Amino acid sequence: MSTPAETLAFLHEVRLFKEIAEPELLILGQSLEERPLRRGQVICREGDPGEEMFVVRSGSIVISKLVTGRVEQVLARIGPGDFFGEMSLFDRSPRSATVQADTDATLLALDREGLRRMTEVSPRAAAAFFHALVLIFIERLRASGDLVAEVTRWGLEATGLDLDSRA
Amino acid sequence: MSDLRTSATPPPTPPRRAKLELLVRRDEKDESFEVREIGSATAFVQSRPQRVPPESFELAEGASRVAGQRHFILKNTTTDRYLMLTEPEKFLWEQMDGRTSLQEIATAYVLRYGAFDFDVIPNLIRKLQRAHLLTLTPSSRLRQALARNRRKPMVKAIESGFTVLERINISSRNVQRVFAALYRFGGFLLFTRGAVVAFALLALAGLVVGVRLWQEGGDIVAGFGGHALRGILMVKGLFFLTVAAHQIVHGLALVHYHRRVREFGFTFLHGFVPTFYVDVTDIFMASRRARVVTAVAGASVHLVLGSLWFIAAYLAPLGSFTQAFAAASGMIQWQAFVIALYPFCFIEMDGYHVLVDVLGVPTLKQEAMAWAGGLLRGRVPRRFGRQEQLFALYVVLSAISVAAFFAFNVMLISHARS
Repeated sequence: MSTPAETLAFLHEVRLFKEIAEPELLILGQSLEERPLRRGQVICREGDPGEEMFVVRSGSIVISKLVTGRVEQVLARIGPGDFFGEMSLFDRSPRSATVQADTDATLLALDREGLRRMTEVSPRAAAAFFHALVLIFIERLRASGDLVAEVTRWGLEATGLDLDSRA
Repeated sequence: MSDLRTSATPPPTPPRRAKLELLVRRDEKDESFEVREIGSATAFVQSRPQRVPPESFELAEGASRVAGQRHFILKNTTTDRYLMLTEPEKFLWEQMDGRTSLQEIATAYVLRYGAFDFDVIPNLIRKLQRAHLLTLTPSSRLRQALARNRRKPMVKAIESGFTVLERINISSRNVQRVFAALYRFGGFLLFTRGAVVAFALLALAGLVVGVRLWQEGGDIVAGFGGHALRGILMVKGLFFLTVAAHQIVHGLALVHYHRRVREFGFTFLHGFVPTFYVDVTDIFMASRRARVVTAVAGASVHLVLGSLWFIAAYLAPLGSFTQAFAAASGMIQWQAFVIALYPFCFIEMDGYHVLVDVLGVPTLKQEAMAWAGGLLRGRVPRRFGRQEQLFALYVVLSAISVAAFFAFNVMLISHARS
């Protein structure tokens, strides 16, 4: 279990919280719950209800989406400082992907109540948080576009229909 | 003033081949998983295109006014769409039976036409898919059968074992320089007339002493101290290492004919047969003589090693462990030589590749097995022409040969025990 000082030092390095001042970050740190995970442990499955978002404190996490039977497509692998699970936290929809520990890992969980408290106590910290979130969303949206292009190209190449690139 | 740097900028390089990262669970409810990265190129060459059933298409030869220019009309009887195929395309269409991978089809094409156009297969696939005449099926039939019966614990265990073994592949694609150096520093001697004569004499000497050793079989095997079976298993272990030498000589033959060795490595063939391998596909671009020499050169390693072992056994003290070990090693090496070059044993080894090259029937085994399977299921053949006779001959000879091989080994062991 990390000490508050260690958690604070870590949060300073997380892009999502970088613009938040130290006193507010201390308060936020108190709302975060540390969750140790063993390798292979599933944090949530696609379709599960979701009430929390998570920041990866240590280790590696793999996010995947069911394709067929036992096969899932890996959407991303994330490491310390990255976060996931925010979509269900905001729109209350079921989890959109399965998240699983690729190695032994530690997460920091922020639930809806913790987020509400931060917004009420410090609107300035909340604004910094949401601003960072939007910037990261834009990056992820661009990455999703790249992934769609890659998957489409894979399909064309795997079926021999990529004649333009073969020319 | 125009910016000359713009016009001098090299054209953008084509993007790398796409890869998909897949997470595969060992069980749908299990947490354990593995991540596999699958390149589109791998998926493409391993796919097994399946043409539509015979009742869904018609194929007719079109009339041509140009001598030697054959073409064919392929009609999808369900959609009433027509395609015009060249003779090579018709050949490819006939290979697309759902059992043959694109890699094997490409090999068949090269054997048939002596050259390869890298666009012809994807172009044809695109045409056939547009006309709804084709489906693509990935993965082997064995793995599909295992996947269907995964609920049975034994099948699941076998499938898991295959999966683990299949992933073991120690190989390098940067071996051309190594093989070229091996060839330069002595490997070239293997492909001289002197070497061929020396090996022939050695084989003759091996045969003579082998026959004499056979006559003294009981005394020789006594050298294993009553543990003949264990001794033979040890010999088999040592033999496995010489398979690497077999593959290396294949690679040297490629260098000899100025072709490229694309890959050398170790893997589990079909998921369970440990083997060394060398990618000799570049030899398809060489002459038939080069292909035959490449095939025979690798197998000859076993002939030479077997002869040396027999001579060593002959010179060793009668009844000693050395003599027993050397005699058994010689026998196994010679068996390997015969198996590698003998084409009728249901295994696609060097001799089989020479045979199909000479016959010009690159998918002989697959077609013969499908034909024999049809017979067993009660399908009466409409004709028994030369092709069917060839299929029957292949299946019968192979079945007899495999039975004879097992009988010979049983006799060998009982001879050793008595």
